[in-house]
Amino acid sequence: MSITIRNIQKSFGQFKALKNINLEIGAGELVALLGPSGCGKTTLLRIIAGLETPDTGVILFHGENTTHMHVRDRHVGFVFQHYALFRHMTVFENIAFGLRVRPKETRPSDAEIRRKVHDLLNLVQLDWLADRYPAQLSGGQRQRIALARALAVEPKVLLLDEPFGALDAKVRKELRRWLRRLHDELHITSVFVTHDQEEALEVADRVVVLNEGQIEQIGTPDEVYDHPATPFVYQFLGDVNLFHGRVHEGQARIGDVQLELPGSPERRDSAVFYARPHEIDILREPDGQAAIAAQIIDIRALGATVRVELERQDDHGIVEVEMSRDQFNSKDLDRGESVYLQPKRLRVFAERNGEENLGSAA
Amino acid sequence: MSAIAAPSVPARRVNVEPLPVRWLLIGLALLFLVGFLFLPLAVVFGQAFSKGWSVYWAALVEPNALAAIRLTLTAALIAVPLNMVFGLAAAWSIAKFEFPGKSLLITLIDLPFSVSPVVSGLIYVLLFGLHGWLGPWLHEHDIQLIFAVPGIVLATIFVTFPFVARELIPLMQSQGTEEEEAAMVLGASGWQTFWHVTLPNVKWGLLYGVILCNARAMGEFGAVSVVSGHIRGLTNTIPLHVEILYNEYNTAAAFAVASLLAMLALVTLAAKTALEWRLKQQATQSTPLA
Amino acid sequence: MLKRHGVLPGFSITLGFTVLYLSLIVLIPLSATFLKAATLGWTGFWNAITEPRVLASYKLTFGASLAGALINAGFGLLVAWVLVRYEFFGKKLIDALVDLPFALPTAVAGISLATLYSGKGWAGQFFTPLGIKIAYTPLGVVVALTFIGLPFVVRTVQPILEDFEAELEEAAASLGATRWQTFSRVILPALLPALLTGFALAFARAVGEYGSVIFIAGNIPMVSEITPLLIITKLEQYDYAGATALAVSMLLVSFVLLLSINALQRWSQLRRT
Repeated sequence: MSITIRNIQKSFGQFKALKNINLEIGAGELVALLGPSGCGKTTLLRIIAGLETPDTGVILFHGENTTHMHVRDRHVGFVFQHYALFRHMTVFENIAFGLRVRPKETRPSDAEIRRKVHDLLNLVQLDWLADRYPAQLSGGQRQRIALARALAVEPKVLLLDEPFGALDAKVRKELRRWLRRLHDELHITSVFVTHDQEEALEVADRVVVLNEGQIEQIGTPDEVYDHPATPFVYQFLGDVNLFHGRVHEGQARIGDVQLELPGSPERRDSAVFYARPHEIDILREPDGQAAIAAQIIDIRALGATVRVELERQDDHGIVEVEMSRDQFNSKDLDRGESVYLQPKRLRVFAERNGEENLGSAA
Repeated sequence: MSAIAAPSVPARRVNVEPLPVRWLLIGLALLFLVGFLFLPLAVVFGQAFSKGWSVYWAALVEPNALAAIRLTLTAALIAVPLNMVFGLAAAWSIAKFEFPGKSLLITLIDLPFSVSPVVSGLIYVLLFGLHGWLGPWLHEHDIQLIFAVPGIVLATIFVTFPFVARELIPLMQSQGTEEEEAAMVLGASGWQTFWHVTLPNVKWGLLYGVILCNARAMGEFGAVSVVSGHIRGLTNTIPLHVEILYNEYNTAAAFAVASLLAMLALVTLAAKTALEWRLKQQATQSTPLA
Repeated sequence: MLKRHGVLPGFSITLGFTVLYLSLIVLIPLSATFLKAATLGWTGFWNAITEPRVLASYKLTFGASLAGALINAGFGLLVAWVLVRYEFFGKKLIDALVDLPFALPTAVAGISLATLYSGKGWAGQFFTPLGIKIAYTPLGVVVALTFIGLPFVVRTVQPILEDFEAELEEAAASLGATRWQTFSRVILPALLPALLTGFALAFARAVGEYGSVIFIAGNIPMVSEITPLLIITKLEQYDYAGATALAVSMLLVSFVLLLSINALQRWSQLRRT
């Protein structure tokens, strides 16, 4: 079932949580709402669910207006951030709840409920926990039970609020792969909220980046990562180095350094250039005017990659460079050494939130 | 009571006083508690049985005593359920929703606790008594509230007013609204949500409030004394009956009837202790592991 | 920020019922009392609450309440300390029994204390040779008010003491403080807000107390007659105006105490976090 979100606005008192949101979610898609805390992503999810009423705008499920439909009647599955498992009920009763509260005419028989709950417990691979209480489960188990409970009512839409937020790093990784596989199996239109870019990029078919109540960009993980539409998206999706300078005759000028920036026609007296840590090379010798002099102040090995922190010699700004351990070993760098930085890729944005251009230097 | 003074946590040596100091402190505390808690309690039962079992029994089954017991049960049976319903409604609106004036409302709900019992009775006399605001009108229509059972019930409701609400409000607040929302998403109606999700989550707290409310309802003296009129066999509750017997120097009978109330107090304390243990369990259970 | 009333039903009906019930049972009767007092006029009201017998009753009520609350502050702290810090036989039982004054009907407490502390009573007999009379004197009022206020200080101090970090005491000890210095300079200041709250609660309860006092007080006008009893006496003499004026003066005191206790509790919570 597709979801159409049209001109949604929502305020809490003076605070504008959502400003004119428009979004299409295709049937069977798995979409991530990504953004920092307070960006409105959870509010949007709750509006889709019907837990919150928008001030203006409409929500369509498969073309049908559901804006004023009660949450009970929307047939959505909702997984809460802290799971909201009923603490006085067993796992079995939690999952059966949605079936048991149906009116008599549509309520399945006890035998059918039992079969269905066990099917779901098998699906989430926790059949042996049926008689436990939520307090006796680990975080990852609770998460999967919450999902099974949401699926029990055969929702046409599955909504998940920070589904992995409360879990530790290792469980989180396992679970998000599992969720992806589950989605590929069931093909329910799913929307999940996260503040973790890695999670969004790894799990979702499409990512919606939100900031301060507005959509910054909608796209596939590759699109938003490789072609961020705004400086916000660029910075939110990973570490970034900023260089202040100007654009002149198709060249980026950073201090005294000139770098080729093909396809940038305009002249700009003040510009900010963005480069990710892995998009910068460290050279021992200056390469004409295309490198920035800097001194290595710290080297940290983080597993397979090595992070080098440098201080620019012109304005003493800090630059971070990331490379593989092999690359690092072949370069043989030491703390305190003077080297040259060469961005392999630079991006520059126009002032009014649009990507004006991007180019590769040197 | 023999005092074996051992530190609670043996490992913390620096935090522990020398043994004689510990014994001295425990001894002083026990002496205080003996004088102000244990002896008063012991006196009740000692005096109640001072003239033997038959006098004790006779004092309880005497018609005026039975009438007092009936009236006390009646008043509690009306006041407790009413205040329970009120407590649930107040806790639901205060804990699950935001609205201006909330903290004022909570303060007002607690108000009856800070009013002297005598004043609690007096306010109804001033409203419904013969010289009160509505007195003349009530008199014309031949309705008597004060110095009659309705006045006793009203005063009982007033003094037990906050008990259930003040237990439930913080409990429901700490439990948030996520479980209720989850139930609604799963298709439950408002009533089903309340019945299957909210109520089971607060049942121990509710019972706790009800037990305290009931103890006070059955034991209230000052407020009831003002509105009762002390008509034997008609408007006397158990505590008022105790007063009359005591003032007639019928000490054994007074303490015999009083021992009923003392037993109620002990049962209340036992139930309260058990429930506090349950509530503590529940609180530790609800903290997420992850 | 306005919270989501969103999907949960029943807000209007529960809030409506809450406010209606509160108004009918509490607010309207209380306002009626203030209105009644207003009909006395300012001089009438002032004369009613300042006649000598009334002033004597204030002196006793507030004086004995203060004494009882002070005794409870000291011994309540001691009891809480002993219950939290030490292990001894019967501790659990004693812990549960501390709440007895909350649960025991005041009339029962009253006749029991009067019997216990009378000249020939189990406890009173030890004081008779010393020439100390407790029952039927102002001292008896203090005893009764100590009894009914006993749980307050224990129950406010106890949780704070339970949560008290052992590291703080260890730090004080490692810095060279004696046990007494650690107690008076580290532990006691941390307990102070709770101790004051408990003291204020005990005092507020004592000021309005009636049932447990009247049996032991002797109720001699000008000597051992508490204000709540005087209200009843005036009522029995059909002096409604006098009773109302006294009630309003007591209500005002209660409200002031309630506000100060709320402020104390906020302070106490602030200190805890």
